Amino acid sequence: MAKTFHLTVAKIGENLFDGEATSVTLPGSEGRFQVLASHEAMVSSLVKGTISITGADDAKQEIEIEDGGVAEISNNQATILL
Amino acid sequence: MSLKDIKTKIKATERTHKVTRAMEAVSAVKMRKTQTAAITGRSYARAALSILARLSGSSDALRHPLTTVRDVKRIALVVITSDKGLAGALNSGVLKVAAQTVTPYEVADVTVYAYGRKGQEYFARRSYAIAQNIENKDDGVNVSHMEELAHALAEGFTKGEYDEVRVVYSNFKSTFEQEATARVLLPLSVATITELVKDIVPSKGKFSELPTLESPAAYSVEAASDDVLTTLLPHLVAISLYHMLLEGKASEHSARMVAMKNASDKSKEVAHDLTRLFNKIRQAGITREVSEIVGGREALAT
Repeated sequence: MAKTFHLTVAKIGENLFDGEATSVTLPGSEGRFQVLASHEAMVSSLVKGTISITGADDAKQEIEIEDGGVAEISNNQATILL
Repeated sequence: MSLKDIKTKIKATERTHKVTRAMEAVSAVKMRKTQTAAITGRSYARAALSILARLSGSSDALRHPLTTVRDVKRIALVVITSDKGLAGALNSGVLKVAAQTVTPYEVADVTVYAYGRKGQEYFARRSYAIAQNIENKDDGVNVSHMEELAHALAEGFTKGEYDEVRVVYSNFKSTFEQEATARVLLPLSVATITELVKDIVPSKGKFSELPTLESPAAYSVEAASDDVLTTLLPHLVAISLYHMLLEGKASEHSARMVAMKNASDKSKEVAHDLTRLFNKIRQAGITREVSEIVGGREALAT
């Protein structure tokens, strides 16, 4: 089974995703990029687009970004603030 | 007071008791809801904070318009109060701190953003300029109103309409303890936000365990870190404001709950005392009548 990492996608007042994921693809301001487990620590701003999440049980989920956001990845944890 | 008057008064007191007891129960439920909202939002605030804490090492963060510290000549004051009363000393506490906050400044140098009617009334009466007046009627926090306000504040600050934004709100410590607090919202600093995250945790009771903040790691920053900050900082302003509003709401509900509980207790006591009085007067009447009858009989017998 693929390695997982903890992913949190949150909006003010609302948690959109909180759990283990194997991969997430994000619309970064410098182009789309994918995050897998054990990704290097990084911070990136996000633009309008779609976040595609592959959960631990292979469940796919998509979340629309309407207004940009910030992604932070460290210690095998990804936090996306919209 | 005649017997009938007392009876009416007892009935009225009992009705009041019913009403206050119902209001107490309603406030208790609302309070729990807001508390839960504050806790779910905590992970967001914490994550945003840790990103800022790590980025603030770079000088870019300090040069951003929203973090620039200027000489304070004019300030904006956000007063978070409730729309409705019946909440004990909650609003007067907030307004007292708000009044202290603006004392060092001229009336013309203060821009007031009133979130909640009580604050608006107070400052309007003292002829302060009220830039915006937002209703605080919902049980929860209206996110779109909050974002609008956050945006207006950030814009005013960047344009230099004021050099500092302060928020006065009531901090929820526990059900029985709310503290009127003044905080600097803009310019943003790690210190303010750290304090805010700490405040989110009530000092006692449910949810009072402290969250841990991981130590900062080295980062590679995709895109210019300026870009990240431009996106992140307005979010931080919004989240800070959101939490202050939540705290205010939780305080309002719990203060009202306690006030209503006191009212219920008191009305019960009053009803009890009145019943005692009623019985005493009734008994006195009976005794008098009996002795009159007995006296009358004695008089007839002789």
